[in-house]
Amino acid sequence: MARSLNFIDALNEALHQEMERDERVFLLGEDIGVSGGVFKATAGLYDKFGEERVMDTPLAEGIIIAAAIGSAMVGLRPIAEIQFTDFVTPAMDQIIQQAAKIRYRSAGGFDCPITVRICCGGGVSGGLYHSQENAAWFVHEPGLKVVMPSTAYDAKGMMLAAIRDPNPVIFFEHKKLYRTAKGDVPEGDYVVPIGPVAVRREGKDMTVLTYGFMTQVALDAAEEMAKQGVDVEVVDVRTLNPLDKDGILASVRKTSKCLIVHEDKRTMGIGAELAAIVAEEAFEDLDGPIVRITGPDIPAIPFSPPLEKFFLVNKEKIVAAMESLAKY
Amino acid sequence: MTTKTGRSVAEMEPEKASQSASQSSELLLGLYRSMLKCRMCDEKARVLFKQSKYGGNFYSAVGQEATEVGAAYTLRDDDWIAPSHRDWISNIIKGAPLKFCYAQLFAKATSPDRGRSSPAHMGYPPLNVITPASSIAGQLNVGTGVALGLKKLGRDTVVVAFFGDGATSIGGFHEALNFAGVHRLPIIYVCQNNLWAESVPLRLQTAVTDLSVKAQAYGFPGVTVDGNDIMAVYDASVRAIARARAGEGPTLIECKTYRWYGHSEIDPAKYRIKEEVEAWKKKEPIGRFEKVLVEQKLLNDQKKAAMAAEITAEIDEAVEFAEKSPYPDASEATDFVWA
Ligand SMILES: Cc1ncc(C[n+]2csc(CCOP(=O)(O)OP(=O)(O)O)c2C)c(N)n1
Ligand SMILES: [Mg+2]
Repeated sequence: MARSLNFIDALNEALHQEMERDERVFLLGEDIGVSGGVFKATAGLYDKFGEERVMDTPLAEGIIIAAAIGSAMVGLRPIAEIQFTDFVTPAMDQIIQQAAKIRYRSAGGFDCPITVRICCGGGVSGGLYHSQENAAWFVHEPGLKVVMPSTAYDAKGMMLAAIRDPNPVIFFEHKKLYRTAKGDVPEGDYVVPIGPVAVRREGKDMTVLTYGFMTQVALDAAEEMAKQGVDVEVVDVRTLNPLDKDGILASVRKTSKCLIVHEDKRTMGIGAELAAIVAEEAFEDLDGPIVRITGPDIPAIPFSPPLEKFFLVNKEKIVAAMESLAKY
Repeated sequence: MTTKTGRSVAEMEPEKASQSASQSSELLLGLYRSMLKCRMCDEKARVLFKQSKYGGNFYSAVGQEATEVGAAYTLRDDDWIAPSHRDWISNIIKGAPLKFCYAQLFAKATSPDRGRSSPAHMGYPPLNVITPASSIAGQLNVGTGVALGLKKLGRDTVVVAFFGDGATSIGGFHEALNFAGVHRLPIIYVCQNNLWAESVPLRLQTAVTDLSVKAQAYGFPGVTVDGNDIMAVYDASVRAIARARAGEGPTLIECKTYRWYGHSEIDPAKYRIKEEVEAWKKKEPIGRFEKVLVEQKLLNDQKKAAMAAEITAEIDEAVEFAEKSPYPDASEATDFVWA
């Protein structure tokens, strides 16, 4: 039976069900226990599973990740929460030098099946330090899987996939989706595999490659274009590493046009890699330039409303780009 | 006179090692043999490097054998070690076959990591020695995580984390020890304070005299021992390990010791003065312990020579294995990225 759930409730349900199913699973992070998390993603878990399995940690991101890595190496299935992606930097040494490399450097002697939940994203007046995305930092590290679901269905299914994955998985949760992405979520157990893209809207005139909250915005823009007779395909690249090249290329080859949309900064962002893949492998199928709509190259999302608006990609910006790309 | 580390040479007169009358001769000889083996393996590794038998670098622990052996000697197979760059010999103490230890230096396909890590950055998964990253204090954090996992699993297994004086300055050291204190984790933090972090002396690393005082801030015991006195390290470690096994939490053991050679084989260590090095060589752990064993009539020249001959034969065989082993095939570079 499916019922309509918020993204965050779907996530929460995944955590409940997997902790019940697998006693190796435990959670650790700041304020995730008694308070249930800043956004309540872990609500109810502390009461149900107790402080051994829902650990409120010291305020120290490095050891949160190290504690997860070490306990994964002895066979547990830890899920660490980084309260805001803006504060993942103190944990980068552990994520990049340890989690991403321990299997490689030990030639498979040690595995690191951890899930790191990271809350990210702007558009909520979070200012410089509660609005960043930073997914691009992690996709550069083979050994780390990186995902960012955009629907409630995927939130649950990909969370279950992440916990069961034998690799370290960085699981990005865009905070704007928590209570805006509502959709049918099965009550039972199901997995949305890490890897394949999801075509959210089929179309024949143009492909949009996007992910996370921007998927919703791109879908709105696509509806707008439909009124002008342009049929846009929206591809949700919900796994950012490893990329589903086949899925990406199949869509671009079909439509011959490629627009890339992401919220985070432009230079060397996720879009740069997507553009490179399309340019390298689908050049002859293209009828127009590969276009990127992204955040600007400024350090982070500023607080003041007009400044924040300047940073964020919105429907209007996407529609404008679609209109000019459609002319080719 | 005062050395560059600010300690007076007079303070460092050679001493005899302490002796535990209660210990069996088997244990005492076992500790001695283990230190001797570490010394000989390490010296051999240095020679092989100088002969360009392998590339990269090597981080000798000669002079520090008592801290390594004293801390790790009683560990069980299922206990864990979180080593750093200077703790290649900790694999030997844990029981990793010598041939794999040299294959690791030679970066051969037969090494436990199939040629991935730099020489001396060695782990041995079958005996729970964590393959180290080079990042200072990285392992003591991962080791702390392992200790959390072991505690959650209800095991009486413990973790020994080795690191240097330099590692006590980095944030991860604080995060790890603080966390271990909160959760009373089964881990023993063994700081090998050899007074130098590459070329940086201890006085520029910390304002405290004894690094063990740091444990106080984390709510568990910290002890400072003469790291060149095998029985002092052994006794402190046995107590700390028992404490950890009993679920009573971590211990920080600061072992004051000294590395004879440069930071690595390519470091002439010009930043140290001769008098400091000479004074510490007189305090070196193996000779000191030897005196005790000779006095107790447990050891004589003949026995020592026989021991050394045995170890030499073992080393020769291991080196031959390493030399004859193939390099990994280039195509293996992409293995073990994903599980
Ligand atoms: C985070 C980090 N910074 C710098 C280095 C380079 N480095 C390697 S060993 C070392 C000195 C370590 O000193 P100490 O912790 O006292 O250990 P010792 O070498 O004396 O055994 C430095 C600076 C490193 N490996 N990791
Ligand atoms: Mg040092």
